[in-house]
Amino acid sequence: MSLDLSKLVGQIIDLAASLKSKSGEKQAKIEFALKSLRSSAVDLDALKKKIESSKTTWLIASPRESVDLHLTPPTCPDDFIVLASDGSHIDVDRHQSAHCFLINIGIVQLQYGRNPDAQLLNFPYLYYKDEDVSINSADGRKIPIEGQLLGIKRSIEECHLLAERAQVLDSGLPVVSLLDGSLILWRLAEQVYPDFVIRELLVDGFLKYMNQLKELSRSRPLALASYISYPRSTDVVNLLRLAVCPHLPVDCDRHCAGKFVSKECDVLNGVLDRDLFWYLLAPEERSAVYSSSSSVVSKYYGDSEVNFFYVRLDGEVARVEIPLWVAESEKLVGLVHSTILDQCRRGLGYPVSLSEAHEQAVINTSGRQQFWALVEQILVDDGVSISGSAKSESKRTRWI
Amino acid sequence: MKQIKGQKSKIENALGKKIGEVIESRSAEFIGQCYKLDEAPPLGCLIKTQDKSGVTYGVVFDVETHSLEPGRRVVARGENLESEEEVFAANPQLSRLLATDFKVLVVGYTEGKDCHHYLPPRSASIHSFVYICQLEEVRIFTGSTDFLSLIINARIDVPVDEVVAACLRYASEAHVDRDAFLVGAGKELARMLSGDANRLNSLLKRIK
Repeated sequence: MSLDLSKLVGQIIDLAASLKSKSGEKQAKIEFALKSLRSSAVDLDALKKKIESSKTTWLIASPRESVDLHLTPPTCPDDFIVLASDGSHIDVDRHQSAHCFLINIGIVQLQYGRNPDAQLLNFPYLYYKDEDVSINSADGRKIPIEGQLLGIKRSIEECHLLAERAQVLDSGLPVVSLLDGSLILWRLAEQVYPDFVIRELLVDGFLKYMNQLKELSRSRPLALASYISYPRSTDVVNLLRLAVCPHLPVDCDRHCAGKFVSKECDVLNGVLDRDLFWYLLAPEERSAVYSSSSSVVSKYYGDSEVNFFYVRLDGEVARVEIPLWVAESEKLVGLVHSTILDQCRRGLGYPVSLSEAHEQAVINTSGRQQFWALVEQILVDDGVSISGSAKSESKRTRWI
Repeated sequence: MKQIKGQKSKIENALGKKIGEVIESRSAEFIGQCYKLDEAPPLGCLIKTQDKSGVTYGVVFDVETHSLEPGRRVVARGENLESEEEVFAANPQLSRLLATDFKVLVVGYTEGKDCHHYLPPRSASIHSFVYICQLEEVRIFTGSTDFLSLIINARIDVPVDEVVAACLRYASEAHVDRDAFLVGAGKELARMLSGDANRLNSLLKRIK
């Protein structure tokens, strides 16, 4: 049965009315946030001290530059290379007879300037060996890689192949390597995973490959960044919550836990960082660079500590995340800023390299079906006994 | 070869060269894909492809440059650029995402030393390389105009008479006595189109 849209029309009209009625209220909140941001900028040291002494329940951005900074981009280099990576996967299907999963990574290398060139590549890899489909501890514990963990594994492979590609670049041109999404593996923080899982995925995986890029940056101008379109983060707004908090030191649990009356910082509820920077930044400008206070970052990232800035494009504010070694170099931050803008111009609003990497990586519905059909066919050809679930068979043959 | 200026030297340089390969094949037609974007052989050009069973000759009747991925449309990109070359320099990925295909009517084949001007027993092999015929080969193959019936009777999306005329104009440049070749071909067309004087006249005007 297809979705009965006629039953939804009325509800969608109500949704539109609700959004409309909230827009005036939100505008007032954004204006308050802007005012708070500008007044916080007056005494950055005091704000930093307040951050250091605070105990909050939310993520707070720590500014590396003046919080109300808005900077135009430097000129893009004449000749440069953009490397981008994106991935998709086919998860383990317990209704299928073969226990395996697939990760497909798209890598794009675009060279601009006097010798324009493009390499559009994809690397599908099938994981089926025992040691590949689970993470194993020294004492024999096994955590299967599927679902959320497979999503993390995919992010790692995106960074892995990006670093590999950067290593074989034989030109000395400036390089910006781009990942899609966050440099922070949030999903690792969301669930409690055993330490050996975090070690394998993060320390011996994602961070190792980030470090390979860092090492490369010692011998050539190379930056790593990740791009988040239409971000929902509130790290900077949370900083303003802290700025407007009358308690010193700020301690949410002590002063406001269980408080039913409104708190001073409630006035910023519902404001996102992108709302704030849409008004603070002129087109093409970037915000100050901030560092993330995510617990997973402070616990594991070390030298690769995640920093970020916002950049205003034609139609949206995007969040760009960079590791510490990029944030500490004014040149590399400028290179990332100008290259992201240039990529968005060429990509009609979204970095063209990431868009093409996605095209290389994406597995559509028919691709997924063809993959399982091929697995089945080869298993049958090779005389391997297969038995799928009755549920899977029932989905394939629809009947009345 | 009397081609449009600029195109002439391009084709002369391409004579005998490998320009692409067969990506779709049927008994009477095949589609070739160019190795380089927009470097397709011209309409009416005699090309050949070779496999174990021999050489298959064909005449180009349609050229198309398209997106390699179904569902991804090409968008205009050059509004603020000075030249078409700049569009590709500013968007280097384009040359990897677009392809130029050329459709070919099969007009004959060789079997040992014999050259036949009718359909071969087997279609051209997939992925077999496609070459633009050398002038000498064009002259020898079009020494007989029996192949014209294969074009005249083809059911294709492009106006057939345009393809016939383009082919004869192209082939005439390979013959020492160009006019004599065209007169001979015109007589052959007159025989084939004896019941359709208007069509014949229109076609003859195109090969002068």
